[in-house]
Amino acid sequence: MPETQDEQTKPIGKTSATDRDPNTSDKFNFWLGSGVIVNPFDIVEVPQVGDSKTYGLVTMLEHRTDAPNHLSNYISSNFGEVEEEPNTPRQGTTLAKVNVLSNSKDIYMPVPSERQVQFASAEGIWEALGIKDIPEKNRIPAGLVKMSTGTSAVAYLDSRYLLGPDGAHVNITGISGLATKTSYSMFLIQSILQTAEKNNEAEKIAVIILNVKHGDLLQIDVAVSDNLSDSELSKWRELGVEPKPFQKVRYFLPRGRDGTANSHLEPVSLASIYAYDLDCTADKLGFMFNDISDPSGALQSLVGDIMHGIIGREAAFRNVDTWDRLLNGEPLFKDGKTQKFGDHYSSTVGKFRRHLRRMVKTRSSGLFVDNRNTSEVVLSEEIFEIKGGDVFVVDIAKLYDHEQLLVFGDLLNTVYELKSEGESEDIPDKIIFFVDELNKYAPKGREGSPILEHVLDIAERGRSLGVILISAQQFMSAVHPRVTGNCATKVLGRSGSSEVFQPDYRFLDDDIKINMTRLSQGELILCPNTYRQPVKIEFPRPAFKQQQA
Amino acid sequence: MPNPLVGLGAVFELIRQNAKVLPATGHAFEDLEKPDIDEVDDLLYHKDEEGGGRISAFAESPEPDHHAIYFPTPKIHRNQDHLFRFFVDGSFRTYMIGTGVEGTRSFPIQLAQIGGAVVNREDDGSLKRHSSSFKILLVLAPSDTLYNRLKTLESVLNNLGRFSFQVINYKAETVHPGLDFLDERNKAGGKIRHEMHLLEVDLIKTTDGQRNENSWLILDGAVKLADFINKPYIIGVAKSFSKNLEFHLGHGRGSRKADITSILASLPHEHRTAAFSTYGGKVAFWFVRLREQKEVDYPLMGVVKVEIPVRPEYCDHTGKIRKELIDRLSSALVAERNVCPYGADTRWHCHLYPIYMAEKIIKTGFYSKEVLTGAIKWPKPQEAENA
Repeated sequence: MPETQDEQTKPIGKTSATDRDPNTSDKFNFWLGSGVIVNPFDIVEVPQVGDSKTYGLVTMLEHRTDAPNHLSNYISSNFGEVEEEPNTPRQGTTLAKVNVLSNSKDIYMPVPSERQVQFASAEGIWEALGIKDIPEKNRIPAGLVKMSTGTSAVAYLDSRYLLGPDGAHVNITGISGLATKTSYSMFLIQSILQTAEKNNEAEKIAVIILNVKHGDLLQIDVAVSDNLSDSELSKWRELGVEPKPFQKVRYFLPRGRDGTANSHLEPVSLASIYAYDLDCTADKLGFMFNDISDPSGALQSLVGDIMHGIIGREAAFRNVDTWDRLLNGEPLFKDGKTQKFGDHYSSTVGKFRRHLRRMVKTRSSGLFVDNRNTSEVVLSEEIFEIKGGDVFVVDIAKLYDHEQLLVFGDLLNTVYELKSEGESEDIPDKIIFFVDELNKYAPKGREGSPILEHVLDIAERGRSLGVILISAQQFMSAVHPRVTGNCATKVLGRSGSSEVFQPDYRFLDDDIKINMTRLSQGELILCPNTYRQPVKIEFPRPAFKQQQA
Repeated sequence: MPNPLVGLGAVFELIRQNAKVLPATGHAFEDLEKPDIDEVDDLLYHKDEEGGGRISAFAESPEPDHHAIYFPTPKIHRNQDHLFRFFVDGSFRTYMIGTGVEGTRSFPIQLAQIGGAVVNREDDGSLKRHSSSFKILLVLAPSDTLYNRLKTLESVLNNLGRFSFQVINYKAETVHPGLDFLDERNKAGGKIRHEMHLLEVDLIKTTDGQRNENSWLILDGAVKLADFINKPYIIGVAKSFSKNLEFHLGHGRGSRKADITSILASLPHEHRTAAFSTYGGKVAFWFVRLREQKEVDYPLMGVVKVEIPVRPEYCDHTGKIRKELIDRLSSALVAERNVCPYGADTRWHCHLYPIYMAEKIIKTGFYSKEVLTGAIKWPKPQEAENA
């Protein structure tokens, strides 16, 4: 918090408009008084016409002197004498570049020159971000906006734009290794659930989390073993969110070769092992072939016919009830030879068999079985039983890529089916689906794959169905633009300069892009559609136990 | 934004009613400032004295040997001796707005902005504006009747308090006898410069009581003897000066004659020349080399001329200025060479940065050319008659 009220309200500089660098409806500049410290992402306020205030976001600071060139400074140091101290220091000022956030009376006249500038108060920050206009029950804490003065304010997201119907989905991007993307996703989900609880709507939301790395998310119902530090606890407090692990969690672990769970660690609480036999996989075979090169579409067509044959119990597939029989029996294989099937050439069938054998036999982690054990569950059946308040964690961390694709596609398909066709009253109003490494499932530049079609469907129709995608990846530029474009909230973590200058980030100012390259751990840039400008936020460490990578 | 110079229109109407006016093409055009105007002043100034620019006496004590007139003045940084605390500059901008014709007599009509500023340097080296002043001058040589009417209007405008305005008859008093050879427009220009110097004098008064032997003021240019002679703890530092001075040093056998170019060409880095006496011994002047010759394009670059009125408190029993004081002033001046406005001003090599900043204060305080020329609109003859 600021040391004194005076410090917060005292002028820190004056606006400055020049012939070459004018103030506009969208931007203004101000010079800083001596000794004032301002940082990018600070929010400032300036008195405007009609007794209104214009709020702005500092995007860049630059120091200017009256030296017309560097040679002038060299010469002013007595022709390069580094020890030389001038009698009169050169005149210079630090100039802050500001993007207009909002005006308290919706007046977007350019800020005049020579106006006193001060830091925005916590209330001013809310006004600047439009949070005051969000009904209290729709406010979901999304992070803390911290100013150079120490002032902080909670950045709230509008649930109508986070969970539908006006907008939906969150996409988080940033380099890995900072433990930020996953931690933030978990914080946001926790915040959504606790807000729902406060509004007596806890039974309306269910969560499905895909664990893709280590055992990060396999203990989310276990309290953090080393107590949270005071600063972390104060962040939780300020945000109005209770630092507690998730409740009503069920874990689904993949079956390994020996029949036990194939996971980095086994959760202490309720966990089930899931496996895929041919019967429960038949309608999802296409997901397994998602990444196989098939320029002519022949393979896709064959997979479609085989799926149809198995599901429809066609005569040719009557005896096909295991992976082994599908690979080595009729109708695809007979007398030691690959057979022609329907209109499909034997070479296409051969290709199908080769890939399927690799997937379910030679390069299988043990996920595929000919006959499921009674304790091994069918994932889609379990998802169909999801209730409001449930948190399902599905572990795919140790699976091969094609297995991950199958599980992801299966989950997506099931959730979509559940929400679009299910009629039970027990179906939660909203199902939040969290997945990391989205680029793997919805990559840019590939069209027509079955999984991508599902992701696009959810991105585009999910908000009306109540399927909310919270996704993350290292590089937004690697994800299909229709997916990220449909996310009403984008959250940006530290990224490399080559990434931030990709066209996918054109919604950001160049100054903000540069700031993205130096974000620290626990810092993110929040860009909801409802804010006029992105803001930098901090969030607390998760309150559940995490496995050390 | 309303016209900040509203009221000037009445002045133009009055002139139009009383004289035929040939407006300058378009509205008005800005006269170029002459960068060597100090040099002209210096030339005229030295023409006044006995000998017409011939220098033969020293002004310091002990009197130097006329064969050894260079003295080392290693820089004394502000941290060691913060001698110069105030810096004064004046500037002007003139606009030729037309020619007035009364009967068979014609005269140029010029509008000028003059301004002056005092900058104060704090202990940490930072600069603050101490005081500044601006004025708009209408300079012409009208008939007495028109002049008196304009003076009446001047009072009216000044009472409005929007801007400081003054009507000047450039022929009413001789600015400088040496200006006689100049044409009418240059005479008017001389008068404008004179008014600017008077503004500087007024501004220097704002530092009275704050100057002492450890807190001096530097005035940009010459000390303008007649105006500043009684002001203590002031030096004038000129970036440009007359190159026509002749030095006749010593008497009889061994005496030497030298021109200023050869004297300055041999002046070593961080050295000063001996202080010479001028204006009948009332003023002393000397030269200080701020920059090494190898750093500049021309041997006379990087040298400033220092002038000081000879006052009793500076002198010893001989009535000449003590050498220690001249050395101290010169050494402190050498330290003023950095920072410099290289790339922003062609006179960077001898510009003192605080003076440069005072100049900036003035120039940013002037109405822009667009505002001023936009405010100058001669009424059409018909309109003037109806008014």
